[in-house]
Amino acid sequence: MSVETVVKEGDLAEMVEQVWVSYLDPEGISPLITTGDENQPTEVHSSVSITGSWHGHLVYASSTQAAKRAAAAFLAMEPEEVGQEDISDVLGELANIVGGNVKAMLPAGCFLSLPTVVMAPQTASYFPAAERISGLYGVWDGESVSISMWQSSSDLQKGEAA
Amino acid sequence: MKILIADDSRVMRQIVTRTLRQAGFGDHDLVEAADGQQAADLAVSEKPDLVISDWNMPEMTGIDVLRKLRAAGNDVKFGFVTSECTPEMQQAAEAAGSAFFIVKPFTAERFDEVFSPILG
Repeated sequence: MSVETVVKEGDLAEMVEQVWVSYLDPEGISPLITTGDENQPTEVHSSVSITGSWHGHLVYASSTQAAKRAAAAFLAMEPEEVGQEDISDVLGELANIVGGNVKAMLPAGCFLSLPTVVMAPQTASYFPAAERISGLYGVWDGESVSISMWQSSSDLQKGEAA
Repeated sequence: MKILIADDSRVMRQIVTRTLRQAGFGDHDLVEAADGQQAADLAVSEKPDLVISDWNMPEMTGIDVLRKLRAAGNDVKFGFVTSECTPEMQQAAEAAGSAFFIVKPFTAERFDEVFSPILG
């Protein structure tokens, strides 16, 4: 099954908007502006894996500066006060929140992993057995942020064969 | 009242604490647990009046913590704050005796709505 039929880019945008309204931009002055540029550079990323009736990953990626700002907003601190552990925790939580919301839209019987955080660009690891199937790419105060979904290649092949 | 906040994310524990304060519940005693096992232990040793728990945690999931407490006859008011919100999870939570289910991201208004009847 293609997840695009279940979780569309507009759904991702709605979830992400809720995160911005609740935590990152409660006053509504600095929203995430989508650019659609899937090749924009990022410096850090976090992910959660989804297994069960659907297999893949939800990946949150951003510039280091955007991660620092997110941590500052989450923790009600100034960006210069934010430490590495704060950034790591917040990145993990961002993937967890969006991943949890995504999971709710997938077929029943999915499981969500704990988040993994990598202080390196998304391109540094990823995902040998999965393909990016959709994503939301944008800038937040001029800094790159993306949220993308990756689906297991074998699931995709099964979908094509069906 | 004493409130136990169980979440493996330190950031989320801070946000829950801050949101409780924003919703006007800042005067209660707060205790934190960083995983499910710790939550189960503190729910017994600290005797909280309310447990606000994440679902997906290391060592033991939130629903297993709740089931363990109920199986031991502990009827502390217990509910979930989680990013996961499938109907089957909500049903499992209710069946296990959960008092509320708050989905992340949440607002102070949502906390007020859920916790006012509980915390007064």
